[in-house]
Amino acid sequence: MAEAYFPVGPGLGMEENFLSLDDILMSQEKLPGRADSALPRLAVLMGQGAGSAESVPEGSKLEIPLWLAKGLNDSKRRIISVELPKIYKEAWRTVFSADANVVDLHKMGPYYYGFGSQLLNFENPENPEIAQTILQAMTLCSLQTFIARFRRIMDSSQNAYNEDTSALVARLDELERALFQVGQKGLNDFQCWEKGQASQITASSLVQNYGKRKLTEVD
Amino acid sequence: MEPAEVEFLAEKELVTIVPNFSLDRIHLIGGDLGPFNPGLPVEVPVWLAINLKQRQKCRLIPPEWMDVGKLEEIRDQERKEDTFTPMPSPYYMELTKLLLNYASDNIPRADEIRTLVKDTWDTRMAKLRLSADSFVRQQEAHAKLDNLTLMEINTTGAFLTQALDHMYKLRTNLQPGEGSHSQDF
Repeated sequence: MAEAYFPVGPGLGMEENFLSLDDILMSQEKLPGRADSALPRLAVLMGQGAGSAESVPEGSKLEIPLWLAKGLNDSKRRIISVELPKIYKEAWRTVFSADANVVDLHKMGPYYYGFGSQLLNFENPENPEIAQTILQAMTLCSLQTFIARFRRIMDSSQNAYNEDTSALVARLDELERALFQVGQKGLNDFQCWEKGQASQITASSLVQNYGKRKLTEVD
Repeated sequence: MEPAEVEFLAEKELVTIVPNFSLDRIHLIGGDLGPFNPGLPVEVPVWLAINLKQRQKCRLIPPEWMDVGKLEEIRDQERKEDTFTPMPSPYYMELTKLLLNYASDNIPRADEIRTLVKDTWDTRMAKLRLSADSFVRQQEAHAKLDNLTLMEINTTGAFLTQALDHMYKLRTNLQPGEGSHSQDF
C-alpha cells in the first residue's frame, strides 16, 4: 500500500511545502520574540491580561509559533522582532562543530534542519548585515552538522538488519529519521531478495487488515 | 526500483545450456533462439535456462567467470584497489544467486563460489559507503562510478540521492535571493 501513497514531503528551505504535514507540525514550534509595538486586544491570548480589551504592551516578551512570527514579520512595519532560539546560537554552534554526533537532535528539534532553514526568513531590522552573518553561520553549521552525522546514519541504517532500531533513531531529528528509513528499506529489500522472499507472493497488507477489521466488527 | 526488478533485467543475460531434447529454431520478440539439439550447447537467456532446468530438460554450463580461481583473483583485486574494479558481469550478484539456487548441481564448488561472491559484494559495499562519506564531506556535486553494478547502485541509491538532496537544499539556503521567493503581502 505504501507504494501508492505519496505524502507531500517537507520543503527544507526558506519556503515550506503548503500541504506537507511535516512542515505544518514544524511551523508550530515556538520562537522567542518581542513585541515592537502594542498589540491591542490580544493580551488574553498571550496570557498576560484578564480583560479582552487589554493590549499586549510594547516590548513584552513573547513565545510565538513560527507560522505566526513569519506572518507578522515585516522589515518596514515593526510589529514583532524575533530572536534565534538558543540551540541555533553561538554557544550551541560550538558544541555542534566539536562533535555533531553526540548531540541529541531529537530532543532539541525534532525539526532541527527544517526549523533552522525557516529562520532565514527573519532579518533583524536594526542590523541586517550582522543578522545575515549570524543566519549564514547558523545554516552553515547545520549543513556541517548534517555532513558530520551522515556517516553514522548511513552505517547504522544499512547494517542494522532485523534489529531493534529504536536506540539508533532516538537521537535523530525527523529529517534524519526519514533518511534512516530509506536506508533501511534498501537494506531490507535486498536481504529479502537474497533470501528468496521477494519471489513469494504474499497477501497485500490492505487485504490482511480488511480481514482483521471484519473480525473485530463481528465481536 | 526493487531488487526483484533488477533481477528481472538480469534474466536477459545469456548463458549456455546443454539441452536433452530437440526443437527447431524458435522466433521470439527479443531474438531467435535455437535450434536445440540433444547434447549440443546453445546460448539462451537466463529465464529460459532456469525454466528448462526446472523441467529437467537441460544441463547448465556455468559462465566462464563463475570459477573459484577467477573469483579469488577478482576479490583480491577488489580489496587492493581504492576504486571499484570492473566486474566479470554487470549482474554478477543476480546471476550467482539465480544459477546457484536453481542449478547448483551443475556448478562445481558452488558453496565456495557463493562465499567468494558474497565477500566481493561486502568489500564493494564497504567501499561504496566509504566513498559516499568522503563525497559528502568534501561537498562534491558529482561523481563517476563506472564499475558499480545496478544491484549495488539500487541498494544504496535512494538513500544517497535523498541525503544529497537534503544537502543541496541546506547549501542553497546560504545564498540569499537565489531560489527563495520573498513573501511580501
